[in-house]
Amino acid sequence: MLLRIIVWAILAFLLAPLLIIVLFSFHASPSLSFPFAGFSLRWYEELFGNAQLASAVIKSLTIALLTALVTLLLGATASLAWLRFGRAGRGMIEALTVTPIALPGLFVGVSLLVLFAQSGTQLSTATIVIAHVVIAIPILIVAMKARLALFDPSLEEAARDLGASQMQTFARVTLPLIAPTLIASSILAFAVSFDEFVVTSFVAGTETTLPMYIWSMMRRTVTPLVNAISTLALFFSIAILVASWLIGQARRRSAIAGRLEQLEPLP
Amino acid sequence: MTNPKTIIDIRDGKKVFGSFTALTDINLSIRQGEILTLLGPSGCGKTTLMRLIAGFETLTSGTISIDGNDCAGTPPERRPVNMVFQRYALFPHLDVFENVAFGLKVKGLPRSEVKERVNRMLNIVQLDNFANRYIDEISGGQSQRVALARALVNGPKVLLLDEPLAALDLKIRQHMLAEMKRIHAETGATFVYVTHDQDEAMILSDRVVLMEKGRIVQIDRPEDMYARPKSLFAAKFLGETNLFDATVSAVNGIGTTAVTTAGTPFLGAETEDRHVSERIIVSIRPESLSFQGGEAAQSAEGTVEDVVFIGSRSFYTVRLDDQSPVRIQVQRNGHLALPSVGDRTRIYWDSANVIMLPHA
Repeated sequence: MLLRIIVWAILAFLLAPLLIIVLFSFHASPSLSFPFAGFSLRWYEELFGNAQLASAVIKSLTIALLTALVTLLLGATASLAWLRFGRAGRGMIEALTVTPIALPGLFVGVSLLVLFAQSGTQLSTATIVIAHVVIAIPILIVAMKARLALFDPSLEEAARDLGASQMQTFARVTLPLIAPTLIASSILAFAVSFDEFVVTSFVAGTETTLPMYIWSMMRRTVTPLVNAISTLALFFSIAILVASWLIGQARRRSAIAGRLEQLEPLP
Repeated sequence: MTNPKTIIDIRDGKKVFGSFTALTDINLSIRQGEILTLLGPSGCGKTTLMRLIAGFETLTSGTISIDGNDCAGTPPERRPVNMVFQRYALFPHLDVFENVAFGLKVKGLPRSEVKERVNRMLNIVQLDNFANRYIDEISGGQSQRVALARALVNGPKVLLLDEPLAALDLKIRQHMLAEMKRIHAETGATFVYVTHDQDEAMILSDRVVLMEKGRIVQIDRPEDMYARPKSLFAAKFLGETNLFDATVSAVNGIGTTAVTTAGTPFLGAETEDRHVSERIIVSIRPESLSFQGGEAAQSAEGTVEDVVFIGSRSFYTVRLDDQSPVRIQVQRNGHLALPSVGDRTRIYWDSANVIMLPHA
């Protein structure tokens, strides 16, 4: 019983702020405290009339999309290498790519800023995308490798044996099998990029992404507009995660099904 | 089969992985239309030999020719052989029809021909009604048939099968063995079959290639290999046998006599390459021993220690008077009185069933 109470208390602690933000985004008055004065869509109306906000949203979407694409390409090539490497090679890929997850964002941000400054690179959308790719790649690799470990390399041999060239094997067997994994992983990269703040603030220069816009708004005054933006961002993120999960579920016919029985390795 | 054509010829094949010699001194001619089994314990090199034929590995030295053409440097996709993989390696993103059609489609055959040939092959493997099922919607035995069909539909000169029944349970395995023989007869393809299971090899093969530690130790028809193993390894690997250390005491016109270290003499029919005082191993199968014998039979006395009934057969353990234990298999038939545990008995054998093997 006590355990249940604790579980519910933790859930309430985690979710209550979300619920309050969502609730107050529909609040009819600018007050951010109870009593609740009735529902209204005025903050959303105000949002859609805000040109600065619109441009920040478009900027963030563009960056997230570019990050997802670049990560997808890099991830696809990394995963092909992964499939061909032995245990030692895989360990190396992992060590090299996954380490940045453990590094503090502050550190990554400063390093990138120094790198761009030293190389004379103008801070722009491109530098933000580069930074986001650096952050997203390790996450992509972690998400991918569990699935790729289940990819049966004898499927590629079977294709060759049946007369397919290396290119045909890739196009007809390898790619269709790893595609759901790649797409699900790059959607994850999109989500990571969309709300990245710490590293972005170092490398953004004069660009303003949505998280940065919200933050700067909050610095001036806490307006109920923030609730409306956050609510939209929340549902957008949920939608992306659900999409990623659904695509991941399509793996029924992908890499995993190839090894329903985990038998002993070939002698 | 008169003067069968050689379809695959391997000469002085050797394969080395790093510091490990996987295969050496491989000389093998595979005849058109036969079922040839590569038999041996795991690690003997049988799978490597098959992968060399398929083109997934290259010989360190020696040659492989398929249908008269040396195929060094020919990639797997351009060899006229197809393989059934141990775990089938069926494409999980394609249905049964598309799996079988894969080879024909990548070769760019017209759609109508693909359809006709795939359907004919699905009919042969009796999967007509499963064409639109996905691989995770069919059973292990059905997957096996899809794998066979997917390989055979390409009309390979040789079908390579890598332990194709290892993943199936015993009942389906026996059924699939019969199926495999039927499909072989219907397609007339040459089958090269890799297995570590002596029963599969015996049931299926025209010839068995027995391998040990990277070498071919014997190539024979299964019945000959069973009756006339050429080494201790062959005698032990195929079937059960009684083995005795022995020394040759006489070689003459009627055969070779060897006396076991415990003191029992065995007269064997073979005389070739035997000389007096040579140390050998005498092998005699449990079913070559019996409790009744004719005039010409040899015999020894002993005491019955144990009896195990297995349906129509019984396995006896008899301790001979020289203290060596012997396993005997007898067919049970009503009118013969068989001894019981503790009984004194005499066991008999014929010189034709005494196998003399070189000391390992």
